[in-house]
Amino acid sequence: MNGVMSWRVLAPYVFVAPALVFVGVFLYGPVVFSVVLSFSDWNFIHPDFNFVGLQNYRRIFADPNFASATWNTLLYCLGLIPAQILIPLGLAALLLRVRSPWMMNFYKGALFLPTILAYSIAGVAWLWLFDPMNGFFNVVLTALGLPASRWHTDPDLALWCVTLVTFWKNFGLNMLLLFAALISVPRDVLEAAEIDGASPWHRFWTIEVPLISPTFFFVAVTTVMNVLDDIVGTIDVLTGGGPFGQSSNILYYMYQRGLGFFQFGQASASAVLIIGLVMVVTWLQFRAFERKVHYGS
Amino acid sequence: MAPWRTPSLVRLKALARRPWLAHGVLTAMAVFTLFPMFWMLTTAFTPNDLVLQRAFRFLPEDPTIANFVDAFTRQPVFAWLINSIVIAAAVTLGKLALAVPAGFAFAQLRFAGREVLFWTVIATMTFPTVIGIVPLYVGISMIGWYDTLAGVIVPSIAYIGFYVFFMRQTFRGLAPEIFEAARLDGAGPLRQFWQIAVPNILPAVASISVISFMGAWNIYLWALLVLDSPEKRMLSVGIKAFSSVDDFTPLWGPMMAVAVVSTLPVLLLFLCAQKVIMAAFTGRTDG
Repeated sequence: MNGVMSWRVLAPYVFVAPALVFVGVFLYGPVVFSVVLSFSDWNFIHPDFNFVGLQNYRRIFADPNFASATWNTLLYCLGLIPAQILIPLGLAALLLRVRSPWMMNFYKGALFLPTILAYSIAGVAWLWLFDPMNGFFNVVLTALGLPASRWHTDPDLALWCVTLVTFWKNFGLNMLLLFAALISVPRDVLEAAEIDGASPWHRFWTIEVPLISPTFFFVAVTTVMNVLDDIVGTIDVLTGGGPFGQSSNILYYMYQRGLGFFQFGQASASAVLIIGLVMVVTWLQFRAFERKVHYGS
Repeated sequence: MAPWRTPSLVRLKALARRPWLAHGVLTAMAVFTLFPMFWMLTTAFTPNDLVLQRAFRFLPEDPTIANFVDAFTRQPVFAWLINSIVIAAAVTLGKLALAVPAGFAFAQLRFAGREVLFWTVIATMTFPTVIGIVPLYVGISMIGWYDTLAGVIVPSIAYIGFYVFFMRQTFRGLAPEIFEAARLDGAGPLRQFWQIAVPNILPAVASISVISFMGAWNIYLWALLVLDSPEKRMLSVGIKAFSSVDDFTPLWGPMMAVAVVSTLPVLLLFLCAQKVIMAAFTGRTDG
């Protein structure tokens, strides 16, 4: 009996232990180790481990590439976060008006399809469209008598090419999530508002959007992460952060410092700054949504 | 409200009800999403010397599988395909083995520290995937996993935040009474899990398996770092081998052929499992 009792007490920990071990070793462990490395001069070329204080932080703050990567991160956020939330919201509202189930499935499937592609495959497909020599876009521009563009190899356009491909690859999931939330808004609430004379536009913003706020919150949190993190794959395939660092972001900068130049200390220092940034952004989002999210049924 | 605004409001209302507006916008977006994939497909079946002539060619005049033959002979594309399948399957099995029992315990068992441990796992959803890449790379090299599939698979399993959250939601949906009854019958936690809980949530397991497989199929940066030998790469990484061959000219035809080979398995999986995937992504907001 005693053995059975102790198994009942221990069993939950046995169930959760493997998950905790993996999360601890492969996610929390490296983050903690990064904090330590950020204050040291250790790397493959320099195997003696010495604490160097804030030297790595000073180095990256003095690096113009870090400054431009930070600025680009801001541009990516300003361009992509509204686009990846508001456009899918509008599309989800339009999907609600589609009556034919066949058309509805076609639109949902077609708009979601890029989401299943690998970042490298999506990148390669767009590289071919952008190709300055024989790519589709320049062929069209030339045929129309317009000057050809250098697209992702143009320092002024590279960032916007990455933005476009990232949007293309990711907006479909947000659209589906928001659509599923909108369709579950009770019809009687909307009919009551219609009888009260509220316009469709007004109804949408004052009734439907607040009612789907839990989904909105989820979409907002995942989109911010997506714009910071998943974009790294697109950057690597499309531009490699170039030309002249014009399309890099802070995570890509960190990746290049660490595994391109093997500057572990500087990479770790930027990792620590990124962790700080993510924590602040996540906290702000929770604060902003805490009071506004409606969790009724 | 000013009287002059009423007609325009009526018109706006009528406009919003008109189906052509919805159909027009959605069709335009479908062209935007599908065209790059269509272009990839048509290029893959066009002879490579025709690909490089500046011309519109919406359908290949002279369809050929030469690009596929070329791609498979130039590079070990078949090995990449096998590696992609092995990596995606192993990561999926690993994630299921961790997330299903953990989700069950967090949903249906009572134990000290449950909330803290749950949030410890869930908080990792906000970790950027590349954040620990330097220490991980060093660690993988030190234990001799550099250039091995295990080096890609094992760390990739750890991103289970979403899966644990999803499984907990699913197990919470089961009535506590059935576990109460099983407990009275003397069933321990393992039997409650394996004989009562799991058989009831198999559709949810299917959904996250598909989502995890598609996610792991697309692993890119980490595989690019860890896998070095040409025959050990996976499709998502190997395709880069075609981007600068002679004189930095990409071999667009063979490259698009590899892109098609890489997309087909996930596309088939998506088409077969569309309902299951949509239910997983949308279930938590409907339910």
